[in-house]
Amino acid sequence: MLKGLGLILLLSIAVILPFFLKDYWVYSLTITLYYVVMAVAWNLLGGYTGQFSLSHHTFAVIGSYTSALLIIKTGIPLWMGMVSSWMFNVLISVLLGILCLRMRGIYLALTTWAFAEIVKTYIRMDFEFTGGDRGLKAPLFFKTMDPVPYYYLFLALAVITIIVIAVIMRSRIGYYLRAIRNDEVAAQAMGVNTVRWKVFAFMAASVIASVAGTFYGHFTGLISPVSGEFYEMALIIIFVVIGGMRSQSGPVVGAVSVRFLAEVLKKWPEVRMVILAALVILIMRFFNGGLMEFLRQGYQRVRQRKGAQPVSAYQETDKTNAMLEKK
Amino acid sequence: MNGDGHPLLDIKNLVKDFGGLRAVNNVSLRIREGEIRGLIGPNGSGKTTMINLITGIYKIDHGTIYFSGDRIDGLQPNVIAGKGVMRTFQISRIFRDMTVLENMMVPALTQDQNMAEAKALAEELIEFGLLTRLKNEPAKNLSGGQNMLLQLVRGFMNKKLRLYLLDEPFAGVHQVIKGVILRTIKKMNEEKGITFIVVSHELTTIQYLCHQISVLHRGEIISQGTMEEVANDPQVIDAYLGG
Repeated sequence: MLKGLGLILLLSIAVILPFFLKDYWVYSLTITLYYVVMAVAWNLLGGYTGQFSLSHHTFAVIGSYTSALLIIKTGIPLWMGMVSSWMFNVLISVLLGILCLRMRGIYLALTTWAFAEIVKTYIRMDFEFTGGDRGLKAPLFFKTMDPVPYYYLFLALAVITIIVIAVIMRSRIGYYLRAIRNDEVAAQAMGVNTVRWKVFAFMAASVIASVAGTFYGHFTGLISPVSGEFYEMALIIIFVVIGGMRSQSGPVVGAVSVRFLAEVLKKWPEVRMVILAALVILIMRFFNGGLMEFLRQGYQRVRQRKGAQPVSAYQETDKTNAMLEKK
Repeated sequence: MNGDGHPLLDIKNLVKDFGGLRAVNNVSLRIREGEIRGLIGPNGSGKTTMINLITGIYKIDHGTIYFSGDRIDGLQPNVIAGKGVMRTFQISRIFRDMTVLENMMVPALTQDQNMAEAKALAEELIEFGLLTRLKNEPAKNLSGGQNMLLQLVRGFMNKKLRLYLLDEPFAGVHQVIKGVILRTIKKMNEEKGITFIVVSHELTTIQYLCHQISVLHRGEIISQGTMEEVANDPQVIDAYLGG
């Protein structure tokens, strides 16, 4: 109940925010919301399912380029270009998923990274078709550069993504994905079709990334292979890790707080990355559950100060043992 | 034998090599429906490999495995589980970050059971396994014996379960929990007709529990029969005494 009210309050603040902010901040928040979508989707794959894919950002790039190129080269309407690019991404993600999701750990990470490099290099090399490093002008979604409508578009996209992932994780698929991350062999022995559900998670995360990437391309109006740099992928992982992996709010908190910090430190670009990197190290060292874990522990301390007694770690075990002894 | 005259599990000439090492050598084994079969043998004799082959974790090199008349060798482990073959692991493999209740839900949700149905069955079995008070605890907080209990009762969540392979279910567990495990196996065998293959080094427990015992040594079945029969078999004595 309290959680629901909190969420409604947060969402209400997000809705009225553009009325009090300058265009620059609305623009910056729109980009933050794009990263929220990307981070929440990657958390499904890297966090909940334990599949450390390094090609998540590439699906956003494929989405934005496919849509823009289809519209520019064939003259189809914008919506048709976007939908076609999403369908193309479903195909690519399923094929890549089938190819590499029998791999685990570092092998999966390296294969997906190699795929990302191939895509980025192709965009750079075939400059006559893709525009190469000069970039590609994409038609605007709202035919205006005013960031406010885009802000609401990405806010809706972020809310939908969060709800979709929450629904998946509460369904039977959520149980399968968490079982796979915990122990793939045991999950299979319990009847979980691990390859199918890993491919599903890969496809779902990739398609969400492509949807976000497509809208992003039609929001900025200029797409370039820079979005395919590994730095973009690292940023998404940093958002998830700092916020809290395998937590529904973690990637949101991570993306918003790190982006905000980056904006504050913008005047000092030379120290910005150092401070962000130091923050990652500190959080990893002391709160590897991310900011959400930090907040949870802080909340528990406050409760204890107010007189709540900690529950014995052995209380439940003791009761069960006593029951067993009686039998 | 089941209704159509076939044994529930029929293994013929099973061979498994790991590089130059033959772990299972031409093993044939027939298990009747409703039987509790003990599988014993010295360390490294191929007992766990047999379980891994039957459940599809390892691919066989030669031979056939029929379950209830259907050939199951070459199938994926999840497909074999879907046919009603479950297992536990010697070093328990629970889903550590999931609660006891969530652990229980996984096998049920791979079948056509809905959430409410699965939860009701899970709570019933958790109570039967005396884990009720721990049902909302993350499984990583459980003790070794409780882990084993959870592994055992989790398998019963498969509604199609007909053959349950237990790999060292009594290893390192408290006497009282061992009693619960024994009670559970007996009850499920008698009331639900579930067939068990129990791998264990605890010969007195195996004698109490099992109808028939097969002895593996160096990847081969060297003796089969009641405990009395196998215990008096010179080949078994030789194998256990290092002959």
